[in-house]
Amino acid sequence: MRYLVDLGWLRSGLSFSFGEYFDPENTAFGVMRVCNDDLVAGGKGFGPHPHSDMEIVTVVLRGQVKHEDNLGNAEVTKEGQVQRMSAGSGIIHAEYNASESEELQFLQLWFMPRARGGAPSYETSSYEPSQMVNHLLPVVSHTGSEQVASINQDLTIYLSRLERGNELSFHQEAGRRVFLFVIEGELEVSGHVMETRDTARIQNEPHLQLAAKEDTKYMLIDLP
Amino acid sequence: MKETLLIKHAVGGRTFLDTDKQPVAYQWEQSGTGWRLIVHKLSKANIEQILTWKDELNLFLFQQVPGEPMKKIWFYIKEGQVMYDEAKEELTIEADSRIEYIPDTFSSLH
Repeated sequence: MRYLVDLGWLRSGLSFSFGEYFDPENTAFGVMRVCNDDLVAGGKGFGPHPHSDMEIVTVVLRGQVKHEDNLGNAEVTKEGQVQRMSAGSGIIHAEYNASESEELQFLQLWFMPRARGGAPSYETSSYEPSQMVNHLLPVVSHTGSEQVASINQDLTIYLSRLERGNELSFHQEAGRRVFLFVIEGELEVSGHVMETRDTARIQNEPHLQLAAKEDTKYMLIDLP
Repeated sequence: MKETLLIKHAVGGRTFLDTDKQPVAYQWEQSGTGWRLIVHKLSKANIEQILTWKDELNLFLFQQVPGEPMKKIWFYIKEGQVMYDEAKEELTIEADSRIEYIPDTFSSLH
C-alpha cells in the first residue's frame, strides 16, 4: 500500500512516512527511509531546502530534473541518468522540473549513510537503458563505477526491463533485504504477482524468481 | 527584525515547533565553534516528538528584515546534541555548524 498525495503541481506515491503521511510503523525498511514516486508539473519543483546525514538518490523515469546546490553543482538529469546526493554534514539544494510544459516523473530514494557527518557531495551517472533488458543493471552501489553512482551505504540499486515471458533469479544473502518496485508492467515474484507501482519488502527469501507476465520495468534494491 | 524558530523532522518535514504559531521563549548563542539553542517551557507533546526524533532534526531560524528577502539559517546537529532538563523545562540543542541562505536569490534555476 502506498499513501497518495495530490498537491496539484505535485502528485506523489509515498511508500514510507513522509510529509502529511505519518505512520510510526512505516518509517523505514532497514536503512531505507523514503521512496517517493513523484510526478511534477511543468515549471514546478522544490525550492531551496537542507538535508543532512542522508544518501538521496533520484532515478528519473520521464522528463528532466534541474538540480542546484550550495556546493556549486547545477545539473539537469534525464531518463537514463541517476543523481546521488550525499547530504553528510549539510547541503542546501533546489530541484525543479526543467520543462515548463512537460511533466517530470522520478523516484526519490533516501537511505541512512554508513557514517554520519561526512562531507556533502553530489554526482550524476548515466547508464545505457538497453543494458537493463532481461538483466539486473546496477545503477547505484557502494563501490560505484563509470556507469554506476557511488553511495555511502552497503547497497545496490538495480534497474531492469524484463521482456514478457522472460525470467531472472536473484540470490538474497542472509540478513539482507530486498525492496522491489514495479515501475510498469506485471511481475511474478516467487509466485506473487506485482502490478504497476506495486512494491514489496522481502526478507529471508534466499532465492527470488522474477518472471515477467508482460514487458515489465522494475527496480530492485539489495540493502542491509 | 522578525525571527521565527522552527524545529522539524529532517525526514519528511513534519513540524515539531514553529514559534510563529506557538510562541515560546528561546535564546541562541555562539558556543565554541558551534551554536547553542535553549528553548523554554515547551509543551509535553512538543518535547516528546523532538526527543523521539532527536537525531533527525532540522533546526531553522527564519529572519525577516522589513523590505529585505527572508534569510534562513539552518543548523547541523550531530548525534547526542539534543538534551532536555525536565526540572528546568529547558531544551538545549548544540549545533555543530550552520548554513545561511536566502531562498529568493539561491537558485538561478527558477
